[in-house]
Amino acid sequence: MTRVTIPVGPQHPLLKEPLSLRLIAEGERVVEATMRLGYVHRGIERLAEERSYVQNLHLLERVCGICSHVHTTTYCQGVEALLDLEVPPRGLMLRTLLCELERIHSHLLWLGVLAENIGFSTVFMYAWRDREIVLDIMENLSGGRIAHAVNVIGGVRIDLDSDQIDAIRRSLDELHGQVDDLVNVVEHEQTLKARTQGVGGASLEQIRRHCAVGPVARAAGLDRDLRRDAPYAAYDRLSFEVVTESGGDVWSATRVRVRETVESLSLCQQILDDLPPGEVAVRASRRVPEGQVVARAEAPRGEVIYYIRSDGSDSPARIKIRTPTLPALSMVRERLRDINIADVPAVISGIDLCVACADR
Amino acid sequence: MIEIEAVLEAFRATCPDHSFDASTMLTDETVIEIPAACLKEVVNVLLDTFSVYHLSTITGQDRGADLELLYHFWHGRGITLQVKVPREDARVSTLTGAIPGVDFYEREVGEMLGVTFEAHPGPEHLLLPEDWESGPPLLKEQPDEKGEA
Repeated sequence: MTRVTIPVGPQHPLLKEPLSLRLIAEGERVVEATMRLGYVHRGIERLAEERSYVQNLHLLERVCGICSHVHTTTYCQGVEALLDLEVPPRGLMLRTLLCELERIHSHLLWLGVLAENIGFSTVFMYAWRDREIVLDIMENLSGGRIAHAVNVIGGVRIDLDSDQIDAIRRSLDELHGQVDDLVNVVEHEQTLKARTQGVGGASLEQIRRHCAVGPVARAAGLDRDLRRDAPYAAYDRLSFEVVTESGGDVWSATRVRVRETVESLSLCQQILDDLPPGEVAVRASRRVPEGQVVARAEAPRGEVIYYIRSDGSDSPARIKIRTPTLPALSMVRERLRDINIADVPAVISGIDLCVACADR
Repeated sequence: MIEIEAVLEAFRATCPDHSFDASTMLTDETVIEIPAACLKEVVNVLLDTFSVYHLSTITGQDRGADLELLYHFWHGRGITLQVKVPREDARVSTLTGAIPGVDFYEREVGEMLGVTFEAHPGPEHLLLPEDWESGPPLLKEQPDEKGEA
């Protein structure tokens, strides 16, 4: 059969960010997929070498426009290890609170994008309406809906009083009811199942070969979550379930993400119930002693890793960032093979890609 | 969780000319220096004998006369393989055969630092434009004969 090359992107309605896909199709089936990255490469790793550790907080928060807080969290963990700083328990708890609010925001945003890409506009509207609640909470906490600038080296810059805690509790209760409805839709709605069940299935073997992480890996049965396996921030003081599935398809990934959203709501409640008293930050020196460090954290999309090397000055000698979308993109090239062209949007959305993160 | 001493023993058995030693970074990350010639064999030992499947990424950095590659593996704890290659002839064998997911990481290190990954199936640019001509952007400027950068 004649092979046809279908270019998708770098600007395309299916993709919210620039990414160039080349799909080679025989009739309705995709037989090969290649991709080109780099359209939003900003040279952040190089820029970070020219800025001080404090200035880098603002730069690194902009690696991702969705999970901005987890980047500064990972960066601060690394620099705090180099400085041998102990962050006060209240600071760690507030840092964790933002991490979980961000996960809720990211997963709801993703559910809306998936729903829109498979033509299910109702779920898109509901998911994005509900996401507003969590954005409002974050805005009230930090002043910013997306870039929160909450982390500082040595802790956080925000604190909560009892009125704010009560207000967040009320908002979270409201959100909880709405997320339960979304869980119900994902579990039982035939339209959503028909477009996602058995689509874009990844085996555990495939996940391992491409070193994929996060909900995509957990959807295929890989039981790994850094919050539990290598607890950072305040996760060692909180209890939660690591959600896994076995199907590996887009439906399994959807179930993992909506159930993780419920777990995150519970984590936020635990934090508000048990917020220790005291300071939220300690002072940090501007100069960082010589050394190298690897810091990891579980972003909404999976493991984020930072390598930081200090030469003893007030700017890092090297910062390396790897975000979870990069291994997911590597894997999706295989998953796009031998599928129907109509399923491409679902498969691409299924990995929850963030091109800005991958490009840096 | 695997024993680092057992890993070192297995590495020594695979590559007898080199005495492998482990050090630790601040965040409990083990670092083992590996000669570039042994990299492929050593990674196969990690995968086959110790089931360490997850390679988080490769960090490449300019350390003056050498370029340093750090392969960050994860097995419930971090384990980093450190490989040094001479700046003037920076080449190391690809791991794409054993770990297909390493493709993007190797291409990025290749374009950013000018490292050649031998036998890589598609060593084109990952992030930089195809017509990029300014040289590898993460290399530090070398001092000239007068000692000025």
